[in-house]
Amino acid sequence: MRLFIVIICLIMNVALWASEDDKTLRPVAAAYTLEVGSSHLSDTYLTPLKYGGQSFALGYERMQAMRFSPERWVMQLTGRLELNRALNPAHNATMWDLGLELQWGMMRRWSVDGVSGLQLYAGGATTLDVGALYLSRNGNNPVSAKAAWTVGLTGAAVYNFKISRLPVCLRYQPVLPVTGAFFSPDYGELYYEIYLGNRDNLAHAAWFGNYFRLNNLLTADLRLGSTNLRLGYRGDILSTKENNIVTRRITHTLIIGVSGEWLSLPRSGRISSNAKIISSVY
Amino acid sequence: MFVLPSCHEIEEWDQDIEGNFNALWKVVDEHYCFFDEKGVDWNEVYSRYHARLSSDMRGLEFFNLCAQMLDELQDGHVNLSSSFKTSYYRKWWSDYPQNYDERLVEQYYLRFDYSTVGGIDYAVLRDNVGYIRYPSFSYPVGHSAMDAILSQFALCKGIIIDIRNNGGGDMTNVEVITSHFINRRILAGSISHKTGPGHNDFSEPYPYYFDPVGEERVRWIKPVVVLVNRSTFSAANNFVSVMQYLPNVRIVGATTGGGSGMPFSSEIPCGWGVRMSACPVYDAQGKTTEKGIDPSENCAVDLDPVLALSGIDTMLDFAVGKILSDDF
Repeated sequence: MRLFIVIICLIMNVALWASEDDKTLRPVAAAYTLEVGSSHLSDTYLTPLKYGGQSFALGYERMQAMRFSPERWVMQLTGRLELNRALNPAHNATMWDLGLELQWGMMRRWSVDGVSGLQLYAGGATTLDVGALYLSRNGNNPVSAKAAWTVGLTGAAVYNFKISRLPVCLRYQPVLPVTGAFFSPDYGELYYEIYLGNRDNLAHAAWFGNYFRLNNLLTADLRLGSTNLRLGYRGDILSTKENNIVTRRITHTLIIGVSGEWLSLPRSGRISSNAKIISSVY
Repeated sequence: MFVLPSCHEIEEWDQDIEGNFNALWKVVDEHYCFFDEKGVDWNEVYSRYHARLSSDMRGLEFFNLCAQMLDELQDGHVNLSSSFKTSYYRKWWSDYPQNYDERLVEQYYLRFDYSTVGGIDYAVLRDNVGYIRYPSFSYPVGHSAMDAILSQFALCKGIIIDIRNNGGGDMTNVEVITSHFINRRILAGSISHKTGPGHNDFSEPYPYYFDPVGEERVRWIKPVVVLVNRSTFSAANNFVSVMQYLPNVRIVGATTGGGSGMPFSSEIPCGWGVRMSACPVYDAQGKTTEKGIDPSENCAVDLDPVLALSGIDTMLDFAVGKILSDDF
């Protein structure tokens, strides 16, 4: 709740500073990505076995310097639709995992003295993650629903440099949820019982002991022109233990996509010669 | 280095005979819900069957040993499934009279002339008694279908719901059908679940209720006989557990087959599926019905196999007589 209030205050401050800051232009750095890789799924509500298979995801990312202090603060919005398909060790059962993740974060950034092009970021992020695992071979317990809202830490190291004459933006960003809330049925509880109305013991406070997630993102934007080619790697690990149910989702994916910066022109259609363009990453 | 220790542990088993046997035993040990009611010492079962293991067992031989171990649970909801065989414990009904002959009803009572909607067969029998036959709760039933059926019986003195040989299916169909036979909200029963791997780790039973259908639909408040046999099982048994407490309902026939534990599925490393009772469902008085539900007082009746040869279903005749009697 405290974080929520801080966020509201910051948005209100944005409105107050807007009129003072007309000569500052803040381009939006956006990226559309496709991810392909491997997945390792476990959910002891569905099966005691570990499944392995493929991972696919579509992603969108938007970063922009914040209006109230564009030199120092950057916001980031990401959305990912992820589909994992995995087989049991005997390869005779398939588990599907479909999830949607929305994340909003805000980071303070610093330039590193003596290292041209290097910026360090640190801040927080809040994440909403919903989805479900489906194991068709199970009768009354074929689905394990997932829902989590977390608040955590994030940071990034961004390094802009050139390979020959090609500008490159290299970024490493981990996201580590610290607390929040997530859904878990009871150990042997059927969703039929939840359907009948028993809502006890379904929502749980998240902490490192019962909800651990670390999302490591490494990207390289090859700035070919007005549009960039994004290549990268994502290693995402999620492990939960609640109500004697252990779930685990580990994915390693390669990323390919396009990224670029877009600037909204003022109503006049002209940019003032005094305007200062402050990028979020490039 | 920071990531790996943060993963929560998941037990793993070897892919060999020993590993699969241990996995099967443990999956059942942690999720099965009727050890006490069945009087099964699962540790003793492990010792007895583990002693019969050998590393050179072939697939079918190992499967049969595992199936025999699961049969110790005496539970019709327990199965082991492989690509070549599915185990099934049958003694819960095979040791009892079948008390049902479908051809007998079709030929001598329905005369092959009946209507069907949504998996329910229905007709008006002699003496103006309505007859519903519902072979499986797996067949979806809608309120509109129930309205249509009960409207056909508007002039009948009562109806018979024949669920002999109904082996269960979808529990939500129990609610759909029952909601046409009540005039107010009723306590239908309660359900519990395992809260952990221990044999006594159960949640407090959660009561659940059924509401009557809206007044725009058809409610039946005249006499109802639910006709049952030992093969009335699982969701069908649950239907009986709810209907038995309604004032205008009598349960006629033989003790039902039980099966009051809602099944949970799991698997073992070799890919065989396991299904077992995991969530006990109790009736409105908090009683277990796992071992079956007795007929209403003075309503126990069997099918006479000799008279059946003459085209007489003594159970169905008893049910008709019960509806027509003054002391229903």
